[in-house]
Formats: sequence, C-alpha cells, structure tokens
Amino acid sequence: MQALLSYDQSPPLSAPLRFFLTAPLFLVLAGTLAVLEGEALFASRWTPAALAATHLVTAGFMLQIMVGALIQILPVLAGANLARPRLIAGIVHPGLALGALTLAFGFLQSAPGWLHAAGVLLGASLAVFIGAAGLAIFRVPSTSPSIRGLKLSVIALAVTAASGLFMLLALAGGWAVPLMPLADLHAAWGLGGWAGILLAAVAYVVVPMFQLTPGYPAKPAWRFPLLLMAALLLWSLAWAVSAEILQRLAQAALAVGGLLFVGQTMKLQAARRRARPDSTFRYWQGALYASLLALLMLLASAVHPPLAGVPAWMGVFGVLILLAGLSAFIIGMLYKIVPFLLWLHLQPLARPGKPVPPMNKLLADKDGLGQWRLYLAALLLAVAAAIRPDWLAVPAGLCLMATAGWLWWNLAVGARNYRRARLAAVSA
Amino acid sequence: MTLQAERVVDGRFMEPPQPFVATMEMLDTLQPGEEMQLLLYREPHPLYRVLQQNGHGWRTELQDDGTFVVTIRC
Repeated sequence: MQALLSYDQSPPLSAPLRFFLTAPLFLVLAGTLAVLEGEALFASRWTPAALAATHLVTAGFMLQIMVGALIQILPVLAGANLARPRLIAGIVHPGLALGALTLAFGFLQSAPGWLHAAGVLLGASLAVFIGAAGLAIFRVPSTSPSIRGLKLSVIALAVTAASGLFMLLALAGGWAVPLMPLADLHAAWGLGGWAGILLAAVAYVVVPMFQLTPGYPAKPAWRFPLLLMAALLLWSLAWAVSAEILQRLAQAALAVGGLLFVGQTMKLQAARRRARPDSTFRYWQGALYASLLALLMLLASAVHPPLAGVPAWMGVFGVLILLAGLSAFIIGMLYKIVPFLLWLHLQPLARPGKPVPPMNKLLADKDGLGQWRLYLAALLLAVAAAIRPDWLAVPAGLCLMATAGWLWWNLAVGARNYRRARLAAVSA
Repeated sequence: MTLQAERVVDGRFMEPPQPFVATMEMLDTLQPGEEMQLLLYREPHPLYRVLQQNGHGWRTELQDDGTFVVTIRC
C-alpha cells in the first residue's frame, strides 16, 4: 500500500499548505474592518470600506485557497501535473497575499499608488499561476465534466483578473470610464465563472467521494460549465453594446444554472450513505441553503431590477453569496483536504507496527464542527448587520474575527501535529 | 458492458484509498490478458499512472448516471 502510494505524484505539502495557512487571516482582517468601520461597511457596495472588505474575502481568502487547492488537485482531478509546483507556489503565494493586502489598503485609503502596486502584484502573480495551470490543464483531453470545468474556470480567472486590472488602472489613473457596469461584469466572471465553475468541477469529484453520495448525472454535469460560460459571454456582449435587457437575460441564466447545480447537489446529499454529519457536510449544507437564497435574489433582481435598490438587498446578497455560500463551500472542503494531505505526506514514514496517526488525530473533526457553529453565528449576525448595521456591524465583525481565527488555529494545529508525527517517525 | 461480478470492484461508495487497494488486489489475481472493471463516480487519474507504470492497458466509459466504468487488462 505504501509502495503504491509512493507512486503518487503529489506536489510537496508546502505548496498548497502555505496558501491554506495564510488565507483565514484575511477573513480575520475582513471582520476587523467591520469592527472598525461599523455602519460604513454596509452603507453601499461602492464605499472604500465595502470594496476593501469584499476583496479581503474574495482576493485574500477565496482566491488564495482556490489557487492552493488547484495546485494540489490538478493531478488527482485531471491527471495534469503543474510543472515545478514548489517554485510556482513560492512566487504566486506571496504575490497574492501582498497583493490582496495592498488592494484592500488602497481601496480603504483611496490611494492611487497602493492601487497601482496591488495591480502589479496581483497581475504578475496571477499571470504566473494562469500560465502554469493553463499549460498543465490544456494539455490533457476533456475526458470528464470536471476537466472541462477546470479549463473553463481558468479562462474565467483570466477574464476576472484582466477586468480587475483594467479597473485598478482606471481608478488609479483617474480615467473617465464608467466603472460600475464593468465592476458587475468583473464580479460575474469572478464569482460565476472562476469560483462557480471551479466549485462544480471539484464538487463532481469530492461530493460523491467525501460524502459517499451517488454521482452527478453525466449529461447535466457536462452542460453546466458550458451554460455558465455562455451566460458570461452574453453578459460581456451586453456590457460591450450597453444592452440592459441582454445583461438581465445573462444574469437570469447564471442564476438558473446555479440553482440547478445547487438543487442537484442537495438531492445527492439527501441520498448520502455517510450517516454521521461531519464538519464538511455541515459547511456544504449551510452553503447550499445560502446559495439557494442568493441565487433566488439574483434571479429576482434580473426579472425586476428595482429590487437591487431596496435597502439592504445588496448587503444581504453579498453576505449570502460570499461568506455563507462560496467561502463556506471552500472551508468545508479544507476540512477534508488538509487532514488527508497531512496523512498522505506522513505515509512514507510508516513502518510495520508503527502506523502514522489517523487523519482525525491530525485535525480533529470536532474542532471543525465547533468552528462551524461559530461561523454560522457570524453569518446570521452578518446578514442581520446588512439590515441593521448601526446595531450589528460590530458584533458581526467580532464574531467573524473569532471564527476565522479559530479556522486558522485548527489548520495550524493540524500542521503542528504533522511536524510532531514526522519528527517522532524520523527519530524512532 | 459490465463483466461478471467477481471481476468487478464497485468502488462507488467506498472511501479512498479503498477502491485503489481493492483494484490492485484483484489485478494480482488475474492472468495476463484477463480483464477486470472498476466502477467509480470519478476518473481515477492516480490509478491510471500506476497502471501505466505496471504495463496494464485500460479504457474508460462515462455512463449517464455518472459512473465511470474503467476496464483494465492485466
């Protein structure tokens, strides 16, 4: 068994782990911003504080984990090996982390110099990652819906990065271009294309594997990434020709596609064979319900646009899609991927009669479940804060800081247990 | 086409790495030229690498219900 596992061409542990260990700190910073800025954070999605907090969550937390996870799972999901993963991670990780920090600071201070610097850091590190991941994934044939999804998600990341970079340059340079429609398009490509399609591509594999559910039916699984891509291309066309009706159509298609995926995943989860709900299941269950609500809001505002102007509408939508939806899916996956990776990298040190610690000893699921409960409290407070920010922005921020800190602590304890087990095995 | 049950590893509701281990164990019992099948809800890329290194051939078919049927020749 160990000899067989040694065939595994898994990237070095540090390549994904360094992303996973720094990402939760950006959620802590987002919570800190809610505490410091309070009501201003929820006043509008365009305030400096709201832009900074949004990008601490998306570019700081979600992007880092998704990039780290892709470096790890490309060989497993697609048989695609990223060349020199340690070097790529060594370049991309500091670039993304510093870039996200600089970006948040630049938004907060409305400082062109910082925004320029953020553009350089994020642009360069994403160019390296997209180049390396693209070279790896586009070399393999699309033999499964997952591989098709991975390819399209990398393209969507490139569009998200390019549109973001353009807006940064425009903001920093004071160019007279209308940024709001482009910001919507940037968010659609980032959340619907990069995060949404990647989530589905990974879910096709990990939901049946980790939650012991039936598989995703093949035909809808093949079509879902294409549907989302078509909706995003239509949205881009609508932006280029300033056609509002096309944009609403694209928004509705994106929402319906997302709802179909969420519904299918809920159906599979209901048929799962793993009786005991673990932290991954809880996170995914919560994320599915939150996504359902968020996508219904997206659909409703496509059908009836004035809804988006209702007070608190965008705040509630943002919390649901970013924190309660996408981030929760990501954390749920972390609680499976990290203990498995720690265990896998200890396997070569196992000796007859001296097995390495099991996964649950490296990162205990009860710690994940506890952290999930606090995360749920933070989500409920954050949704309520979007409605009554004057009362609840500070408690919501404090709760987010605590649960994100706890997430970091759980992952750090896992890494410490790995180091101890490794030392014990080497010195035995 | 599905082979007789004794030549099939149904790994669809097994936790990793059980399907991998069961497949390698069944391969050990086969004579050269004989075939076995692995059923999974994912494409087993890490297994493909091992099969390639050990000189086994395989073909994979994705069925409508999401099952990947991997037919492996010893």
